[in-house]
Amino acid sequence: MPLFRSLRARVLFWVSVAFTVLFAITIVALDRAFASSTERAVRELLQVQLLGLVALAEATPEGTLTLPEDAVAAANPQFGVADSGLYGVLWDADGVPVWTSSSLLDRELSVPKWPAPGEQDYVLIDTPQLPRLEALLEGVTWEFSEGNAPRYTFAVAVSLEPYDERQAAFRRNLIGWFTGVTVTMLLVIVGLLTFVLRPLHRLERQVREVEAGARSRLSGRMPTELVGLASNLNALVETERRRLVKYRNTLDDLAHSLKTPLAAMRTLLAEARDPAKGSLDESLNRELDRMDQRVSYQLRRARASGATGLGVEPVAVAPLIHELVETLDKVYRDKRVSCELELARSATFRGDSGDLTEIIGNLLDNAYKYCKQRVLVTLRGGPGSLTITIGDDGPGIGSDVLPRLLERGIRADESVPGQGIGLAVVRETVELYNGSLRFGASSLGGAEVTVELARPGAIGG
Amino acid sequence: MHVLLVEDDPSLNRSLVAQLTEAGYRVDSALDGREGLYYAKEYPVDLAVVDLGLPELSGIELIRAVRAEGKAYPILVLTARDRWQDKVEALKIGADDYVVKPFHVEELLARVDALLRRAGGWAQSELVCGPVSLDTRSQTVTANGEPLELTSFEYRLLEYLMLHAGEVLSKTQITEALYDQDFERDSNVIEVFIGRLRRKLDPNGEFQPIETLRGRGYRMALPRGAPAPR
Repeated sequence: MPLFRSLRARVLFWVSVAFTVLFAITIVALDRAFASSTERAVRELLQVQLLGLVALAEATPEGTLTLPEDAVAAANPQFGVADSGLYGVLWDADGVPVWTSSSLLDRELSVPKWPAPGEQDYVLIDTPQLPRLEALLEGVTWEFSEGNAPRYTFAVAVSLEPYDERQAAFRRNLIGWFTGVTVTMLLVIVGLLTFVLRPLHRLERQVREVEAGARSRLSGRMPTELVGLASNLNALVETERRRLVKYRNTLDDLAHSLKTPLAAMRTLLAEARDPAKGSLDESLNRELDRMDQRVSYQLRRARASGATGLGVEPVAVAPLIHELVETLDKVYRDKRVSCELELARSATFRGDSGDLTEIIGNLLDNAYKYCKQRVLVTLRGGPGSLTITIGDDGPGIGSDVLPRLLERGIRADESVPGQGIGLAVVRETVELYNGSLRFGASSLGGAEVTVELARPGAIGG
Repeated sequence: MHVLLVEDDPSLNRSLVAQLTEAGYRVDSALDGREGLYYAKEYPVDLAVVDLGLPELSGIELIRAVRAEGKAYPILVLTARDRWQDKVEALKIGADDYVVKPFHVEELLARVDALLRRAGGWAQSELVCGPVSLDTRSQTVTANGEPLELTSFEYRLLEYLMLHAGEVLSKTQITEALYDQDFERDSNVIEVFIGRLRRKLDPNGEFQPIETLRGRGYRMALPRGAPAPR
């Protein structure tokens, strides 16, 4: 179901649909029941009133039928009150009203058809002059004497207005209550889902953190349904980590097995140095250099993992810089370089520590190599990025060299050993992390390199 | 000076032994980490060159064991892995410098030379004791600015004395440093060479560069550094 990407939305949607259908059916059923009971009540009322009217009818000396006003008023005063909602009419055989209740004022009840004598008819009357009425008609044959039995029609009508109002109120009430119940129910479900899905959310967050490198494995208490999933994920993370280690060990072995013979060849050449073959030595050495460069470059590239995926722990950057500075202080002991550090202690790098060591190590080594006396390292770490600046008081970077520094990879004809490889590897590694490398002038007077590393999570895909 | 070489590649090992010997060092070589550790503990060593990728006992473990024994001589690491993490680790556990394979022999020799100087407390490649000056790179010696002609053995003897200028060195120490392990030790030879060195450095007996301490040994008596300008 691509429409709902969240389980909660899916549950809420279907629960709402089910409730709505269920409540709609219930509301219709209850409404019908109420309406039919109203109708029964109305009809009973009409029967009673009609019976009363018929009982009050009297024959006049002229041989016609009439209803004495005072008797009617005594039986039910509503007949006498204007617009009371209860109306009565008596028609003769020609359809001429011989009596109408005062409540009807001077309006007429229009009747669609006359019932046969002895029959009753319920009729709905809806005319502009009157409220909606339900009427009961009864045809009567009044036997004044032998052979003189004219037909009369009695009618009693009741205004349906109050009943309609009651029905509407009942319906409103019904809908109100059910809406209330539905909303309450949905709220309860939302709460329940939040509670039930909390471990799932926690798991999801942990997976995200593992992915971003903020944690190394899934941990904490999980409901039994998720334990299997969590342990599978952990196993996956572990496999990934081990695969990386194995891959790197293979590369190390490869480096060792390729470079040791190269070293042996070079030493043998030096050993067998013959002034007469000087130029041969030189060309062989040059070929060895090229071979070494390519091997080194490719191996170091292959090694840079750009690992931002599973199971990478965040690296504290400041201690790593301290270690590199200690190493370089030892290597460049005779030069007595004074290295100043301005490090944000809390800065962490989300990626592979080997990659970061490679980046900073190469840049710092260059600074130590080219500086006169001083090197300055600053480290700033924001929530989403990491900025490392390394400056020195050396001769700086000439504008003629700069474009070459930014070239991609190393050129095959590059002949000075060790030059360019380090920087090329740095640049490619930085790119793996979506970072940038800038060259400039240091406040110390020499070159300055700035590395910016974005948070790997920011990389798409 | 005794250099211990631990390198498992036979042809590189053999070739490096030749080069180091030619450069004037006494070389003991081992082909695996275990053998290397034995030499490192039992033999006189002034400097060790250790490959990191060794069979039996890795270079890292070897260095750790050597340092745990309390041996303080400089250790130069050879490594095919030019990762910074490896370099950092090697230096953290006690190595003093590294050379990445495939290296130029000249570079290796320069590092060895520099480490030995540092171990003797010298920061520059030129050792200066009063009027005597010895350049470890070019292997030349001058006294009062005049170049001196020294034999290879004389040069190594003087270099050893000057590297440890101010220290008393016994005849045994000197013999061990300058001869192969199985050399028949005859301390008279040292006396003879000391005598020759004195005559060459100081033909007129002006500044008595090498002091004899009876029953204890010899000492480079000249103070380190150039003499104050008069």
